[in-house]
Amino acid sequence: MKRAASLPVRVLWNAFFWTYERATWQYDLMVIAILAFVWLTPPDWLGDPMASGKGPIGWIK
Amino acid sequence: MTFTGLIGRVCMFPLQLIISGCVALRIHPNILTFVGVLINVAAAWALGLGKFMTAGLIMVVANIFDFIDGKVAHELNAVSAFGGFWDSVIDRFSDISLFIGLIYLYSRLDRTDYVMVTALAMMFAIMTSYTRARAESLISKCKVGFMERPERIVLFMIGAFTNRMAAVLWVILILSIFTVADRIIYTYRALRDTREVLA
Repeated sequence: MKRAASLPVRVLWNAFFWTYERATWQYDLMVIAILAFVWLTPPDWLGDPMASGKGPIGWIK
Repeated sequence: MTFTGLIGRVCMFPLQLIISGCVALRIHPNILTFVGVLINVAAAWALGLGKFMTAGLIMVVANIFDFIDGKVAHELNAVSAFGGFWDSVIDRFSDISLFIGLIYLYSRLDRTDYVMVTALAMMFAIMTSYTRARAESLISKCKVGFMERPERIVLFMIGAFTNRMAAVLWVILILSIFTVADRIIYTYRALRDTREVLA
């Protein structure tokens, strides 16, 4: 139980306290997460001054 | 191989050709560094005018210069302490000019919120470099934290080419805050461990 609870905490801590090199699988994961945020977050949600609309989420409808 | 490693390898082919060209022409690396900042100022100008696609293209050219100066210095046997110092200083000017371009743009659009987001992102981007430089005057190495200059530059290009600069600024801001915090924590621990060994 303790181990199960500590894994997400450890993952979060490792993402925050970043010590991985470039071109590692951890780096790839972080890049994917960042690109997903940048491209999938609707500009309207962020109040983007230069872009508008719902972005790719709007295509789902 | 990881996909970021693959992208790095693919990008190295054209860059290696440019590096070879500069070495053949014996262009001094400090000149390449300086040309890089001038081109970055042009990119900042385009950002300020809201011409993101143009800014993205100019940034690609500017950062080729930024990237190759060290490699050219190495191949020309022109690596020097001043070259390293010059490169670091000029890089800060390049960084700041891009942020100023965006601050100008958002001011023109009367978007105080994004003026603040950009200004804070600029502050933490500068602090990212400063914390490492200051830490490495006390400990041997302080290379922790995700959001370093190459990541920032690539994100700026992605934001410019895909018109998602607001999201990019949020990512740069949040991850730069984490990076500065990482470097402070790392330096604190390293200095504490050194003190304990000496005691």
